[in-house]
Amino acid sequence: MREKLLLLRAFFKKEWIILKRYSVNSLGGILTMYVIFLMLFAGYKGVSNLAGIEGDTMEGLVVGYALWVFLLITYQDISFTLRIESQEGTLEQLYMSPHGIGWVMGAKVAASFLINLLIMAIILFITMLTSGVSLNLDFFSLLPVLVGTLFSSLAMGFLVGGLTLIFKRIDSYTQMIQFIWIAFISLPANQIFWMRLLPGSYGATLVRNITISNQNLIQIGLNQLLFLYIIGSTHLAIGYGIYKLCERKAMREGMLGHY
Amino acid sequence: MIRVEKLQKAYPAKKGSPPVQAVDNISFNVSQGELMGLLGSNGAGKTTTIKMLCGLIKPDFGSIYIDGLDLLKQRTPALSNISAVLEGNRNIYWRLTAKENLEFFAGLRGLEPRGMEAEIDYFLELFGLTEKINVEARKLSRGMQQKLAIAVALISKSKVVLLDEPTLGLDVQASYEIRQLLKKIVQEQERTIILTTHDMNVVQDTCERAIIINDGRIVADDRIENLLKLFKVKIYKIIVQGSLTSAQKSRLVEIDAVQEMEKFPNETAINVLLEKSETLYDVIDILRADSSLIKSIDQEQNNFERVFLEILERG
Ligand SMILES: Nc1ncnc2c1ncn2[C@@H]1O[C@H](COP(=O)(O)OP(=O)(O)OP(=O)(O)O)[C@@H](O)[C@H]1O
Ligand SMILES: [Mg+2]
Repeated sequence: MREKLLLLRAFFKKEWIILKRYSVNSLGGILTMYVIFLMLFAGYKGVSNLAGIEGDTMEGLVVGYALWVFLLITYQDISFTLRIESQEGTLEQLYMSPHGIGWVMGAKVAASFLINLLIMAIILFITMLTSGVSLNLDFFSLLPVLVGTLFSSLAMGFLVGGLTLIFKRIDSYTQMIQFIWIAFISLPANQIFWMRLLPGSYGATLVRNITISNQNLIQIGLNQLLFLYIIGSTHLAIGYGIYKLCERKAMREGMLGHY
Repeated sequence: MIRVEKLQKAYPAKKGSPPVQAVDNISFNVSQGELMGLLGSNGAGKTTTIKMLCGLIKPDFGSIYIDGLDLLKQRTPALSNISAVLEGNRNIYWRLTAKENLEFFAGLRGLEPRGMEAEIDYFLELFGLTEKINVEARKLSRGMQQKLAIAVALISKSKVVLLDEPTLGLDVQASYEIRQLLKKIVQEQERTIILTTHDMNVVQDTCERAIIINDGRIVADDRIENLLKLFKVKIYKIIVQGSLTSAQKSRLVEIDAVQEMEKFPNETAINVLLEKSETLYDVIDILRADSSLIKSIDQEQNNFERVFLEILERG
């Protein structure tokens, strides 16, 4: 356990250093996010003025966007790391860690999740301050749902990462997946059961229950949360399993890393 | 410390190219505190061997034991005894400084941060990187990057360190410094190091023992001084006007030292491998007997191919 925490610490430090060192780069992303939040806020006002509804859909919009960003970041974090590090020749070093690649990638994702969560919380706070609109967000209910949903994203990252190990150049396809995520999280999984089994769909539904229907974790219930984690873990098992198959092929053919 | 038994690896056939038997039944041992050279020309199978020892390529057959642990069956514990600097790889993060790289990789290898500061300072000092402690790796010279990569491999405290072509592409000075450092590390830290190279000089300078591989097979496994004798052998290329008579040919073939005779349109080249210079006179006598005109006699650099052939012929 302590070893895993040290691993997480190492990645956290590295991500943090790079974020700071390349802050101009990071700032671009942060500003974009800020502008999008502002737009979402403004859009809400516009829509609500038009329709004359006092509602809580803005929370829904903001959290929906945040969920999409996290799904994307997590997915990209794995698939990009595997691709870039294999090109540059550091992937082998990660592979030689006695923790095993699964834990190493897990720690990498967890570290950037923590950092991104922090950044997003700060931006959200600043957006609220500057726009004068305050959101009513139930972080304690949202966080466990968010984490459970990200399991599916992790799975997708491993799946695509595995394919990258073998096919090397599949960028154009990986770009597409951003939009597939939007589709997944906007499916009406509440009504149609099998849709819950798709990556991100059920998590998005629970998020909407929290933000739009104002439910909290207790109202959602342990069963639903458990179901979310079961779906997430199943995705992860499948994604990681496929990754391992690809890895095996890559190791047999000497294609792990650059060659 | 390292025991390799009957290791084999063939890369499967790809579109347009047949399968390659990169490593073919290799066995060797390396004991603790030994700095062993793995010598071979391009495509000999050095990198493939090293990557199998790192657990990055799965062998088709054979076994690898690291400090008694079976790498293929007990991957995780075995790997904690190995670190490596791989050929053509960055091996370190270019956007992190020297110190940050050392710190990160120590963490990746599961080392406690306590006392790490002193350890990092020690390695930076040892590798002459103290002044560059806060410089991003991408801004370091090629030689310094390589030194940092080796320092990173060493900080893991692994008993075995594998270095694939550690001096490739470095200038004379950087290459020299790295060789000196490696010797020092082996002496002071009892690490077991395998380094691969295609440069006999590197091996001669650093190792006590070397394995020569060619086409995936071990052709020699011996102490350096014995191997050096093979490299000391002189090679002469004699160019004769026109062709040889059949009497000359049959007499030349009887001389062991004559390696090959090549017929060109209006001249013939004879390669002679000499340990004793007297043999050269025998060859010249044979040529003079039928009054062949010797156009030139050049001494050639001995190369791997010839040494391999020589070793193979001696059995
Ligand atoms: N991933 C791969 N797929 C197919 N063939 C490969 C692969 N890697 C290496 N080979 C082939 O296997 C043989 C051994 O290669 P290897 O890289 O082990 O040699 P090497 O001794 O390290 O050579 P060099 O001095 O060029 O680094 C070569 O013929 C090479 O072309
Ligand atoms: Mg090589």
